Amino acid sequence: MTRTTRRSALDWPVEPPPSALRADRSVVRAVATGHGGRRSPVPPGLRSRAPSPPGDRTRLGHRRPVGSIHATPTRSRHKAAPPPPPPRPSLPVRLARGAGQLSAYGGQGVYRGLRSALALIIEATSPPKGPRVVDERDLRRVSAKATRRRLLGVLGAVVLLFSVMVTKLVFLQLVDPDVYERYSTAQRTHVETLAADRGSIFDRNGVELAISIPQRSVFVDPALVEDPSAEAPLLAGVLGLDPAVVEEKMRADNRFAYIARHIPDDLAKRVAELDLPGVAFVDEPRRFFPSGNLARSIVGQTDVDGNGISGLEKQYGDVLTGTPGRMVFEKTPDGKTIPVGRNHVEPAIKGNDLVLTIDRTVQFEVERILGEQVKAADAKGGIAIVSRPATGEILAMANMVYDRRSGEVVSTSNNEALTTVYEPGSVMKLVTASGAIEDGKVTPDTVLQLPPVLQIADAQFTDSHPRGAVAWSVKQIIAESSNIGTIKMAQMLGKERLYEYLRSFGFGERTALEFPNEAAGHLMRPEDWWATSLGTIPIGQGVSVTPLQMLLAYNVVAAGGTYVPPKLVSETIDSQGVRHPTSTGETRRVLTEKTANQLNVMLREVVGEGTGKLAAVDGYTVAGKTGTARKPGNGSYRDENGVTQYQATFVGFAPAEDPEISVIVIIDEPGAGNIFGGTVAAPAFSKITQFVLRVLGVPPPSVDGPKGGVAADAGAQARAAAKLDPSKPVQTASERVRARPAGETPTNTATTTGASTVVTIVRPTTTSTTARSRGG
Amino acid sequence: MAVGTLGTRARGDATSPFRHVDVVLVVCVAAIAALGTLMVFSSTRGTGPAPDTSYLRRELAFMTLGGLAMVAVSAFDYRKLFNYVWLLYGGALLLLVLVISPLGQESKGAQAWFGFGPFQLQPAEFAKLALIGVLAALLSHYEGDIDPRRLGVLLGVAGAPMALILLQPDLGMVLIYVAILMGMLLVGGVRGRHILALSLLGVVAVIGVFNSNVLKQYQKDRLTAFVNPESDARATTYNINQSTTAIGNGGITGRGLFKGQQTQYQFVPEQETDFIFTAVGEELGFVGAATLLVLYGIVIWRIWRTALLAKDWFGRLLCVGVLSFLVFQIFENVGMTMQIMPVTGIPLPLMSYGGSSIVTTFLALGLVLSVHMHRFR
Repeated sequence: MTRTTRRSALDWPVEPPPSALRADRSVVRAVATGHGGRRSPVPPGLRSRAPSPPGDRTRLGHRRPVGSIHATPTRSRHKAAPPPPPPRPSLPVRLARGAGQLSAYGGQGVYRGLRSALALIIEATSPPKGPRVVDERDLRRVSAKATRRRLLGVLGAVVLLFSVMVTKLVFLQLVDPDVYERYSTAQRTHVETLAADRGSIFDRNGVELAISIPQRSVFVDPALVEDPSAEAPLLAGVLGLDPAVVEEKMRADNRFAYIARHIPDDLAKRVAELDLPGVAFVDEPRRFFPSGNLARSIVGQTDVDGNGISGLEKQYGDVLTGTPGRMVFEKTPDGKTIPVGRNHVEPAIKGNDLVLTIDRTVQFEVERILGEQVKAADAKGGIAIVSRPATGEILAMANMVYDRRSGEVVSTSNNEALTTVYEPGSVMKLVTASGAIEDGKVTPDTVLQLPPVLQIADAQFTDSHPRGAVAWSVKQIIAESSNIGTIKMAQMLGKERLYEYLRSFGFGERTALEFPNEAAGHLMRPEDWWATSLGTIPIGQGVSVTPLQMLLAYNVVAAGGTYVPPKLVSETIDSQGVRHPTSTGETRRVLTEKTANQLNVMLREVVGEGTGKLAAVDGYTVAGKTGTARKPGNGSYRDENGVTQYQATFVGFAPAEDPEISVIVIIDEPGAGNIFGGTVAAPAFSKITQFVLRVLGVPPPSVDGPKGGVAADAGAQARAAAKLDPSKPVQTASERVRARPAGETPTNTATTTGASTVVTIVRPTTTSTTARSRGG
Repeated sequence: MAVGTLGTRARGDATSPFRHVDVVLVVCVAAIAALGTLMVFSSTRGTGPAPDTSYLRRELAFMTLGGLAMVAVSAFDYRKLFNYVWLLYGGALLLLVLVISPLGQESKGAQAWFGFGPFQLQPAEFAKLALIGVLAALLSHYEGDIDPRRLGVLLGVAGAPMALILLQPDLGMVLIYVAILMGMLLVGGVRGRHILALSLLGVVAVIGVFNSNVLKQYQKDRLTAFVNPESDARATTYNINQSTTAIGNGGITGRGLFKGQQTQYQFVPEQETDFIFTAVGEELGFVGAATLLVLYGIVIWRIWRTALLAKDWFGRLLCVGVLSFLVFQIFENVGMTMQIMPVTGIPLPLMSYGGSSIVTTFLALGLVLSVHMHRFR
């Protein structure tokens, strides 16, 4: 294949310019070598290479007129050159030769080998030296000066662009690399909060009432979910959820959504086996109440996030809540943990534990007894509190309600013993009597003349049972719960002093418990009293108190005249196991010990001879007081059906000689016919007291206690209690009541034994304007 | 017999191409290629106990192939290319047509590849050389005397492959072609006012393209994300944020080879290809990145110098074409990783993983070496 016929595809002007002596180079060379411009048959390597004429190198490419004549003349010039050369060896032949040379060259080192290989390629691909139509060497020569200006412009642009790059690089890496380093670290670093276990709640003996146990929650990271429509039904199927809801969560534009919280371990395992992308677990502590609903109204509730929302869980939320820990680690964009990255763990600190004064056993029994009594009395509900008068510790606090649909008596979630108020009725008479004796207005033996009806302002007061005019001692007034006698004492005391005593006994303000939503009760200041208030307040109407406040008032007498603030949480235990006793409120003296002892004795007579005989406990002396109050409705003492409802109370303490426990039982809206504190509340009081005394191991007093009790009182109660023993063959009417199995509705016995107080207030409907006597 | 005289001839003949190898260029190119191979390995070795060497091995193969191609091409007298440029050009156009036919493969939104088993061939890369060759031939023929008719021929010759590439569509590649065209027209003697008019036309064309449906939305997003990185185009701004973060994270001396957190944990997408500069910036720091830029600078300077020294128009224009696309690719690629240029899929020459780009770059450098070596023959 010769190159003589090859033409440039271009219209290639080769006509020499008229002014320049521009010879075709191959022609020049052909002359010089004497080979007519043809390739020598001599192998190229051996061919002597005459240097090109110097003119060659100095000739410059320069502009020639456009549209020069084409290459035809050149071709004709070469056509004339004889003789035709032998054909050039084909490329494979030349390469084969080269390979032979290379192998012959073998032992002389890689360097020289490569060099010769390169030389071979150069040789093999060199343009043929013979004449041709267009020799590439005829490409227009340029000088270094030609287009130099434009090349310099190009260089300037290059320098500019590189300067821009270097400048930006300097800004990124030298001026403020810290910013980027921080950002880089921040986007790798992930902080996971380690949930802290909430503190436990124990009873006074260390029995768990509320504990936290980690449970698995399932969540989804929608960004990692690959196929929501496929994953959602699988996940929803295992968890028993609506697939549409799950799919919606999987499609959300966020990184986190709970699917199910606190699921059982076996369910979590099944979800894990699905191995769905984007679905993961997190351990979250869940609140468990090992004792079920026991003391539920005291302990309270937590929400799903473990925050206390009621009861002690709420009140001691800060104490119980632990300090969450942190796990810091570095993650790659696809969520893998970087093993060599920054890793550290700050463990979570468990919250402090609470130790309550509640005794789980007592609580359980109190709830049971109260529940039975509520059911037996066909009542709406009931409240009972057991405390220790000397320390104010609350051993049990039960709030029961009769669910008439299910027929079950259940404990309420609301701690009504602290959060609701009621008009206590006759149990309030204690305060009036205490004040009158303390102020020296009367002694227990002072005899007062009591008319059948007492008019105060526009209201007429009577005792619960019609009677003629009598002369009763203060002792008798309390034992028989005489309204008129009590009002007489209140009149002697005066409303200012009565108010002071009420406040001193703790009414009208919240107790030291500071329980969530605890009520203060409603006690008007004396200048705001109605004209009839001096008649109503002494006998426990027109004043509202919490059940606990009432119990604490009796604790004053039981504790020898000292008000002891109540206590529900005895101590906290921190995460190190150190116990911290909770602070105790200030005690204060309300009555002298002498007055307290006199009242103690008077209250024994209520049980021994008066209205509270059913409260007696075999082997112990009980002191207490009955109360039966009409329950206020909407502005009147009638409910929505126009029926007057009652709240029956018995509150007292035992053993009266050296009180270890005090108990209040309130039966709310007992069924018709048996409404009295002495008949509805007292039996439950008796059972509760008996149980608690036995559980606490309180020995019956061998002799009368040091509280100045009268032997006859204890003796009377002992006799009464002995007679109450169901195994005894002889029973009085009242004994039959005591012996009656729980659950029976008390009927006629109530009227025969129930000497509780019923207040009769005749209040005209226009009272609001006419009967009010401000500041009187 | 011949062998014995080869060396002698080379030594003795002052015009021998062999005596005029541009050693500086070769050394710098070799250094960049070595660094590129290392950084590709660093960004693909993974975090497992045994490093993933699959990319490294393929990259080494590409580099070897490219190096050999460069040596071979440099040994050629570039002037021989002159007669084949139209053949090459025609072949390139044919391949560009074929690649948008069902024979081609689509990847990342552009149908730009032929598949050969595990390897992919990108004809648009090789077509760059065909365009450079044709433009160099035409411009050397015109010798700086370019009337509008000739300019039209030049634009038509350049426009054909660009149109075909736009159909893929590969905007970044078209921009490279534009750079080649502009650089060669400038040095090839197109009149200043024509250049100016072309530039204006280009601006109008860009606006027109933006308002038409030629570009896919993601391409528009990428381009506008550069102007407004806080825009909603999350994936695009993510790229930019991650790459600037990686480079900034390098600081002066870098995090150390194989120790860049951004690089090793693959925060930067496409870091072994288009965003390879971030690996250099993070792991080798300012020292490494600046060194790389200096090496590139030297390479560009040597090409420029070769253009200046070239004996003929053809050789000079070949060099200018190579210089144009290298400078444009370097600036666009490095600039995009540092948020001074919009994000387009343009590889960093001799650094980015990818056989077509590497071999093409080596071939182009081989041409430049050939021009340098044969300037006395």
